[in-house]
Amino acid sequence: MDTFKGEHLLPGHLGQFFTILAFGSALFAAISYYFATINPSDTSWKRLGRIGAYINTASVIGIGICLYYIILNHLFEYYYAWEHSSRALPVHYIISSFWDGQEGSFWLWTFWQGVLSCILIWKAKSWETPVMAVVSLSQAIVATMLIGVDIFGQRIGTSPFILLREAINLKESAPIFATNPALYHNYLSYIKDGNGMNPLLQNYWMVIHPPTLFLGFASMVVPFAYAIAGLWQKRYTEWIKPAISYSLFAMMVLGTGIIMGAFWAYESLSFGGFWAWDPVENASIIPWLILVGAVHVMIVYKNTGHSYFTATILVLTSFVLVLYASFLTRSGVLGDTSVHAFTDAGMFWHLVADVVIFLILAIVLLAIRWKELPRTKKDEETYSREFWMFVGAIFLCLSCFHLVVVSSIPVWNLMFGTKVAPPSDPIRHYNIIQASFAVVVTLLTGVTQFMKYKKTDITKFFITSAIYLILAGVITGVIIYVTGVYKLQFVFILIMVGAVYSILANAKVFIEALKGKVKLAGSAVAHIGFGLIMVGALISAGTSKVISENTSGDQFSSDFVKTKNNPKENIILYKNTPVQMGKYLVSYVGDSISPPNHYFKVNYKVVDANGKVTEEFMLKPNAQANMKMGLISSPDTKHYLFSDLYTHVNMSNAITVGEGTAEAGHDEADDDKNYETPLVYEVSPGDTIRFREGYMILESIAKKDHISDITLTDKDIAIGAKLHVVSHDKSYEAEPVYMIRSNNAFDFARKVDDAGLKLRFTKVIPQKNKIEVTLYQQPESAKKWIVMRAIKFPDINFLWSGTIIMVIGILLSIFRRNKELKPE
Amino acid sequence: MKKSSILGLIVIAISIAVIISTYGSTSTYGSIADARKTTDELHIVGHLDLKREMHYDAVKDANYFTFFIKDSNGEECQVEFTGAKPQDFERSEQVVMVGKMDAGKFHASHITLKCPSKYTQDKVDFTEFKAKEANI
Repeated sequence: MDTFKGEHLLPGHLGQFFTILAFGSALFAAISYYFATINPSDTSWKRLGRIGAYINTASVIGIGICLYYIILNHLFEYYYAWEHSSRALPVHYIISSFWDGQEGSFWLWTFWQGVLSCILIWKAKSWETPVMAVVSLSQAIVATMLIGVDIFGQRIGTSPFILLREAINLKESAPIFATNPALYHNYLSYIKDGNGMNPLLQNYWMVIHPPTLFLGFASMVVPFAYAIAGLWQKRYTEWIKPAISYSLFAMMVLGTGIIMGAFWAYESLSFGGFWAWDPVENASIIPWLILVGAVHVMIVYKNTGHSYFTATILVLTSFVLVLYASFLTRSGVLGDTSVHAFTDAGMFWHLVADVVIFLILAIVLLAIRWKELPRTKKDEETYSREFWMFVGAIFLCLSCFHLVVVSSIPVWNLMFGTKVAPPSDPIRHYNIIQASFAVVVTLLTGVTQFMKYKKTDITKFFITSAIYLILAGVITGVIIYVTGVYKLQFVFILIMVGAVYSILANAKVFIEALKGKVKLAGSAVAHIGFGLIMVGALISAGTSKVISENTSGDQFSSDFVKTKNNPKENIILYKNTPVQMGKYLVSYVGDSISPPNHYFKVNYKVVDANGKVTEEFMLKPNAQANMKMGLISSPDTKHYLFSDLYTHVNMSNAITVGEGTAEAGHDEADDDKNYETPLVYEVSPGDTIRFREGYMILESIAKKDHISDITLTDKDIAIGAKLHVVSHDKSYEAEPVYMIRSNNAFDFARKVDDAGLKLRFTKVIPQKNKIEVTLYQQPESAKKWIVMRAIKFPDINFLWSGTIIMVIGILLSIFRRNKELKPE
Repeated sequence: MKKSSILGLIVIAISIAVIISTYGSTSTYGSIADARKTTDELHIVGHLDLKREMHYDAVKDANYFTFFIKDSNGEECQVEFTGAKPQDFERSEQVVMVGKMDAGKFHASHITLKCPSKYTQDKVDFTEFKAKEANI
């Protein structure tokens, strides 16, 4: 075997060993727990199962440590480190480069499942063996995604410990390696740096969003395992109680993860919004919707004994949909329909198998136990809270069904050989249909609050709910009038009614809860949070306004605008030339560069009628001119309490790819080409020179003792001309220098880049007691500009605060359900 | 009839409505030739033709961008897009456009780029390697 200089093989070998051990121990645990379940009298099986689970968790942590070590120490002989990190990444982004790739996100998944396994061993008591059998099976299957071993010529999974030279044919990339073995032996010394991370992912939210999301996904295996265990052990009714807490937990964490993703998209992506119904986003919300439905139906069952079958089906489906979502985003099947889907890593059938295994497990068990499942003969009371909770859950499932149908269009194409393209205006399509479901769901979260457990006093119910509905209608009227939502489609106004109604009704319950019925507080708070999310999403997405409308410049394509009412959303801003946008006077005032980021400084001013500046702030949207990925920009946002102002730079002539790296040697003559014909002025101290965009005053002329890096001897004469430059209300100091050395005259020009000036001190005219200053101005066309887009998002804070309130509510519910478990 | 049966029927009705409305709003993938024949919006997958003129002058109109694409049948067509030129457009390998034909030009309302960086990242950057070779 070849040996290669400079490779560190130990962490990789160790890591690879842990991946195999993780798989082996998980499989071992699953089998042991299986036998422990069917031989309850023999406790040794259970002990073996536990050992397997602990070894599995330990080896998963081992994988993480090895991989982290590799990335942190920039061992670019490993493909994963080379592909996802680089030396320039700061430490917190090195952490997120860990889960930048497919393998890293699988690791997160298996890590959280490992942690949950330990919690289950500790807490699950009589449920431990059957539940852990299922969780360990899932753990074993996730581990297969990471082992990366060839079996019968087919690679199973992709290991994060694969070496660069194994992943890529270096001899093809650099033919010299094929001909010169000595160089190939030393290949590592030519790989100076990794690919780095996509600049868009270099955001602090990317440090915590993936772990949260994957904790949510991973924890959904627990209710699934309980449902399977319930069917398997014929403990049909008992599993629901402990599973409710885990379902609530999964619902809370996954919900938080999804909103974090939305917040990241809002903060750092350039599409201008928080949600775009991209298939990747849909993939995360699909299982969540079903899970929310499942939690509600489980509570219905717990309270009334109705709907056992639906509760089981929904819990089982929610986990299968997690796996399906993983298939959608990782198999590459989405292809053209998504901007940011993962690409195919040759795992298509592997991912299909993952879905099919658990789907079949669920279907077979249900079929076997079909006849024994508890059923109620009695019909539900129409005016019971539980009946309408059930209806609400069904509508959540329908909304999920719609998302599945549309995001799976590429899958249908593949299955049926059709060539259907997604809706040409997907956002509108999703918005309208999902909004219709949301109307029903929000109204139901309100109306059920006026009903009682099992049976309700009908007259009283109709009176109170109607009063609240009228109140909600009035409040909605005010809100839509003030915010401008009334201009939207009718269905969005209906959601507003539903959301306000839900907030009011739940606020009533919450106030009652404060007076004593404390245990209802959790759901009320969660519903209020959900209502606020709806209100915030509706107002901000529905009434967001592009304020950077293009009103200047040649209307080059006027007939084009007529045919398509696409607003002209981008505006060009020349440096230091303010443009009025809405109430703001906006100007591009400069750049600040701290590699690899290039910040465009955009100044916003509000000027009142008297010409007084009432408000002023600076936004710094940034761009990275990435060598590999080109120009990638992210927005900057000014946050107010009731609105956000979002600014995003699309294009600029002030940034070039590769900037920040050593500047190419440029000579003086070349540089002069960037300026107009120079103007020569003869001035004495105190004189003013005017130029197109300002003026400058020659303050003084002084002898210089040193000029930056040039040593002056006493034979040299160097004089500096101190100039005070004022351009666009800003002042700069510049001191061009004139020097005589051994009878030769030199001069050192100074640039004022912000003002587009170059200044030279070209001559001393002793007889007139004047000096000559040569002024170079940048032509108008070479002036720096940016093309930017600014959007105002009103009331988006309702969305974020609603999320926090919802999480608090779910947390309260978890405490309550856990308390209910105690007496058991 | 039991309430659960009524609910079941409603669910089935809504599901069917969802499928129909989804199917109704789906678009189709087509070639440039297809686009010339219809007035409906459709998706065209094509390659950017770098040899032909690409026009974007932010100074004149920051919202007007035209370029030429070639579809898999080799047919060519000019595309007009109301909006800023997407970042890194020249590097894109494949362009997916949603829009319709008007007076011989394809008016795109939406453009998705497939950049080679996403697909062929497996090209190790050896620029440094060449510079060093001279020293050996």
